[in-house]
Amino acid sequence: MALHLNLLHEEISEQRQRQRDPLKIGMQVLGALGILLILYYMWNAYRTLEIKSRLSTLNHNWAKVEPSVTAAQKRVDELNGVIKTTRALDDYIDNRFFWGSFLQKLSECVAPNTQLTSLLGTVLDDNKGVEIVIEGVAAGREPRSVAEDLRQMLLEQLKQVYGDVKVEFKSLEDVDQIVIVGGSHMAVAHYTLNISFKPNTLSKPVASPTPGRGRKK
Amino acid sequence: MSRIKFTKDEIKKLALSTMGLLFLLYVYFNFFLGPLTSSRIAALEAIKDRKAKLDGSKDEITKATRLEQTAKNATTRFAALKALNPEGAPIAWFPPRVKTFFANQQIDKATARLDKNSGFKPGDLSGWTRYSWLIELPQADYATLGKALAEMENSEPLLAVTKVTIHTSPDQPQFQKVDLAAENIIMEKK
Repeated sequence: MALHLNLLHEEISEQRQRQRDPLKIGMQVLGALGILLILYYMWNAYRTLEIKSRLSTLNHNWAKVEPSVTAAQKRVDELNGVIKTTRALDDYIDNRFFWGSFLQKLSECVAPNTQLTSLLGTVLDDNKGVEIVIEGVAAGREPRSVAEDLRQMLLEQLKQVYGDVKVEFKSLEDVDQIVIVGGSHMAVAHYTLNISFKPNTLSKPVASPTPGRGRKK
Repeated sequence: MSRIKFTKDEIKKLALSTMGLLFLLYVYFNFFLGPLTSSRIAALEAIKDRKAKLDGSKDEITKATRLEQTAKNATTRFAALKALNPEGAPIAWFPPRVKTFFANQQIDKATARLDKNSGFKPGDLSGWTRYSWLIELPQADYATLGKALAEMENSEPLLAVTKVTIHTSPDQPQFQKVDLAAENIIMEKK
């Protein structure tokens, strides 16, 4: 067996001591980890750059079509606004109450021995209907029945055109007066009629016809 | 197997190295990788958005073209309704127009004055104003009035008569005194 003499024992142990220096090992580990992290960062940076390049291409394409798309969207909004407004205007126009046709109906109901002295008609808000108050005088042997005939006639005629028609006497009083109608002396009654109806429940008049004849005086 | 024994100095160095490593990781993730990742996420979101916009752009243009064709009637009608009222303040042109209209219908001495005006609630008719007018016809005949009203209702679609008052005129039995309340809707000129 050969004899080994280690004359450099101290130097070798110092070298071993240096080699297992924790700080040195730590620095090496840190260095390796740093390289890994840098590589990972670079890979991420590459991916980000590639994505940004795609985004840039898309942005370029979008910039080309954006003006026409914006203009189209604006036009669509504008057209939708026009359509809605026109519809609202048409509703407004269609929901108007046509006085011309009502006055014609009224004139058709007034017999020669009745007379209207005043008319007050109001279209209620929110399409709640129309309210009319008419005052007048009726002449006849029985003036009250002449007034009642007028009421019945109005009810009948207005029901043909309007809905929920009500024609009621607010007052009906004999008047101390004699008038001559068609050469005969007749008694007179003063009446006030309340009329109410809903204009658009039955049919919507497209245009109001002109009254056929004038009021009987 | 020999166990590694650290000296006090070595433990100190190890602790320092660990702290350095942790600091390095913190800096790396917060100041390098973090902004890069958030930038990439933002870019991906932007790509998604742009793609959706590009895909939708064709639809938008087609939609606009189609709507342009279907809304032709509405636009023509809207233009016609808008053209019914002339430029300028309604108080300047409406009363003369009413006077002329009734004069043409053989009803003289017609006067119109503005009662009030109010805007519509925000919605379909925003931008339009409702003008209420009081029209007086001191010398009207019932039949002529009826014809005139019918003519007005037909020729002025944006005008609605809301109140009619007819009284006999004691001093002129051949005439009736008529008061009308009418409202006209007019587009506000911008």
